[in-house]
Amino acid sequence: MSEFAFKGGLKLENPYPADEIDLIRIPLPDKVILPLQQRIGEQAKPIVGIGEHVLTGQVVATIDDERCAPVHASISGNVVAIDEQVMPHQSGLKALCITIESDGKDDWVDTSIGCTEHYELCTPETIYNKIRVSGIVGMGGAGFPTHTKVQLAEGCHTLLVNATECEPGITCDASLILAYSTKIIRGAEVLFHISRAERAIIAIEDDKPEAIALLKKYCNNDRISIEEIPTKYTSGAEKILVKSVLGIEIPSGKFASDVGVLCLNVGTVVAIFDAVVENRPLISRAVTVAGNAVKVPKNFQVRLGASYDYLLSFTDLEEGKHKVSMAGMMMGIELKGTNYSVTKNTNCIFVDMDEKSAPAKAKECIRCGLCNTVCPVDLLPQQLYWYSKGENIDKAVDYNLLDCIECGCCSYVCPSRIPLVNYYQFSKALYRQQVKEKEQTDKARSRFEFREMRLERNKRERAEMMEAKKKALKEKMASDKAQKDIIEAAVERVSSSKSDTEEQDGN
Amino acid sequence: MFDATSTLSLLALLFGLGLGYAAIRYRVEGNPLVDQIDAILPQTQCGQCDFPGCRPYAEAIASGEAEINQCPPGGQEGVDALAELLNIETMTLNEEHGEPEPKRVAVVDEDVCIGCTLCIQACPVDAFVGSSKVMTTVIAQECTGCDLCIPVCPVDCIEMVEIKPTVRNYIPDIAELAHV
Amino acid sequence: METKRLDTNQIMRQVIYALVLGVGAQIYFFGSSVIVQIILASITAIIAEAVFLQIRGVKIKPAIMDGSAILTAILLAISIPSIAPWWVVVLGVLFAIIFGKQIFGGLGNNPFNPAMLGYAFLLISYPVQMTQWPGEFISFSQGIDVIFGLNNVDGLTGATRLDDVKTQLMLGTQIRDINLESVSQLWINVGFLLGGIYLLLRRIIFWQIPFSLLLGLILMSAALFFIDPSQFTSPYFHLANGATMLAAFFIATDPVSASTTPRGRVIYGFFIGTLIVIIRVFGGYPDAVAFAVLLMNITVPLIDFYTQPKVFGK
Repeated sequence: MSEFAFKGGLKLENPYPADEIDLIRIPLPDKVILPLQQRIGEQAKPIVGIGEHVLTGQVVATIDDERCAPVHASISGNVVAIDEQVMPHQSGLKALCITIESDGKDDWVDTSIGCTEHYELCTPETIYNKIRVSGIVGMGGAGFPTHTKVQLAEGCHTLLVNATECEPGITCDASLILAYSTKIIRGAEVLFHISRAERAIIAIEDDKPEAIALLKKYCNNDRISIEEIPTKYTSGAEKILVKSVLGIEIPSGKFASDVGVLCLNVGTVVAIFDAVVENRPLISRAVTVAGNAVKVPKNFQVRLGASYDYLLSFTDLEEGKHKVSMAGMMMGIELKGTNYSVTKNTNCIFVDMDEKSAPAKAKECIRCGLCNTVCPVDLLPQQLYWYSKGENIDKAVDYNLLDCIECGCCSYVCPSRIPLVNYYQFSKALYRQQVKEKEQTDKARSRFEFREMRLERNKRERAEMMEAKKKALKEKMASDKAQKDIIEAAVERVSSSKSDTEEQDGN
Repeated sequence: MFDATSTLSLLALLFGLGLGYAAIRYRVEGNPLVDQIDAILPQTQCGQCDFPGCRPYAEAIASGEAEINQCPPGGQEGVDALAELLNIETMTLNEEHGEPEPKRVAVVDEDVCIGCTLCIQACPVDAFVGSSKVMTTVIAQECTGCDLCIPVCPVDCIEMVEIKPTVRNYIPDIAELAHV
Repeated sequence: METKRLDTNQIMRQVIYALVLGVGAQIYFFGSSVIVQIILASITAIIAEAVFLQIRGVKIKPAIMDGSAILTAILLAISIPSIAPWWVVVLGVLFAIIFGKQIFGGLGNNPFNPAMLGYAFLLISYPVQMTQWPGEFISFSQGIDVIFGLNNVDGLTGATRLDDVKTQLMLGTQIRDINLESVSQLWINVGFLLGGIYLLLRRIIFWQIPFSLLLGLILMSAALFFIDPSQFTSPYFHLANGATMLAAFFIATDPVSASTTPRGRVIYGFFIGTLIVIIRVFGGYPDAVAFAVLLMNITVPLIDFYTQPKVFGK
């Protein structure tokens, strides 16, 4: 076994190899659609109105939530709509988006103010804040807000730059390295400044000699090392990478930051460099377009919010019915049509010919156990499948459902072609819902019980109060009676002397 | 013959004693039945079961005064769960009490509200915030969607809005994945 | 090496191909009547499967095309004596498919190995027909005659070496006085061993079950042999006789009814191996594979539960 090997996983050739993996910069799109719902946290609220003119890099929506990244205009132009649009998500649900029509000028907001290359003079807090307001999230596909991640890993000892591709067939990280290798090195230095990391390791798969050579050429900092790891799928998953490169096993339910490692994708590091040194927020990203309908796979540096159609217009597509998915062959989400826009976590668009890739019908599980052998986190996928299918979520959780990283290795090797990961996604979603419902019913129960108690208490207090009032009244009446007697006696005396007068005692 | 009979009797006695001891020694202290029933009920506190809340209904089920099929928000699944808990034959949901509906939340049209506070008094979980003669509103997270505020509102300014699925709480359908 | 992608039909087909050598050896020594049994069994299996799939409301074609029913039928057909009457194999296959598989919900849901369930059913119900093996090479027409009872063909039958040794030992004969050699049994086992190695190389089966099964069998028989070589046969005898290799590579490795965790497979195989020896030596029936496998099938949920791998980060 090689030095950086890990258990399980898949050795796969890139199914769509390309001679050139250069990052192609494409012209500005005419229109961008920016979704306000990010991967984590609440939906951002628009702070621009319809018809308003915005500049590139201007914040158009934000929310007062530490975990949320703001949304920036990725082109200059006019806001033409703020409405619900279909999200690139398996549900096909809609969510609020801001649509901006380009004025073709790409006028930027003022980018002269900020840390610039003298970032060392800025405090770490300033830089965290800069990362937050620049809207940076994990560019590897997970979309976790980067400022939160950096903050959580404040006392980390190692910075791990993940230069491995997410999945076979995706080459956007490699193309990014070819285009911006200096930014990656400089970006790592920025992270040195704001964390206590003593060293940085750039982990890259051994099938990218060009990228490795380039990184080595520009790396003149001896705290940064470049490690080649074997090309094997799921090596890029954070937990697996930390284990194979550093030998640290992140405990279940914990994150890399809990073991003192800050693990960031190369794309994220480039974005941090852009934000901190160049004062440019995150408004574009590298996207791979591949698949068996794409004649030559390509990588594009594209503005966020550009439509898939726009991106695909720069590739040679085979004629026919297409099947589009976001992300690659292992973890891709199949989408209906191409009416979506590029988001911060769109690392890849796969376009396949529909008939070539008709999924084989699933058969029964024969418990062959091939899935066990490829699971990089050592789960028993067939047991999870069994319980997920039966909606026996508690049992699935007992079998460590929540440790599943949804890498799709099990689905890939399954001889019965069962879409195992979809079952796990289902049972995870169901589990989340059950937990939430449990919380809600518990809350409703306690609120109901509190109300009952309160009503009871009010009743009791009322009764006590009435009792006290009655008593007071009686006493008063008793004392009144004594007074009345005196008065009556007096009246008697008066009336006896003055019998023509009649008096009434009101009180 | 005698030997065999006595040996078996003795064994039976010994095992019986052993079992009896184990039953006492290893007795599992469960929740009182009412709590267990209450845990299954959806805590909507809507009163559709003809009891003034989930807890009273749970008490009624426990004492045998009510059937297990009177809770529409719990749905058929709830009835089945109760049947399993009580170890009785499950029944179909009694539609006289209403039909299960998707989860909803009350929304007050704040322009119309006159601040009569009747809804505050009607709400079983204190999900309304407001005071006399000022506008009232709902804490959406606390609302159980019980509908009890609807009839009491004199100006019909409360509307029950279905909770729409979002990308965040979406649950994929595994029926689509089913086999050949 | 790149990770391969198999499919279920392919797995079933490869297992069937791998049986060719062992079946070939059977044909070489005892004639082609085993082919008749295989054909009878396969036809019965397909019909039984189709009828039950229809009753269960499942699409028939893809379920039959997966080859699992035919594999069950072949395994049963080559396990029973090749001259058993036709109704024996038909009943056995019906039992295997209906009570061994479909009643639990079809492929993937059966707790027991269907072929072995059918075999055990036959052995208990028809011990005479199930223990009369051909004593010599039988021509195809003779085979047809015997299987369909067209002519009374006497003098063809004999006991297997396992059966023979058992009877002799019961009569008080010492091991050294018993003829232990059986060329036919040896070569049939070699045939299945080679087929098994093919499956291992193709990665259709995992090494754990065959390896630990043979290890259990060797250790158990060696222990007995060292205690009293005059009463117990050697490990080599157990390896080369009966359905040892068929069990190790084709029967115990049926994924559906076997343990699925890596450690669980080792335990599962090991105990089948030891049980085979124990039942062969001390039990009432000559061979023991079916009972050993069925007994261990029962323990699979328990084994699987206690041998869960350590999950990453736990």
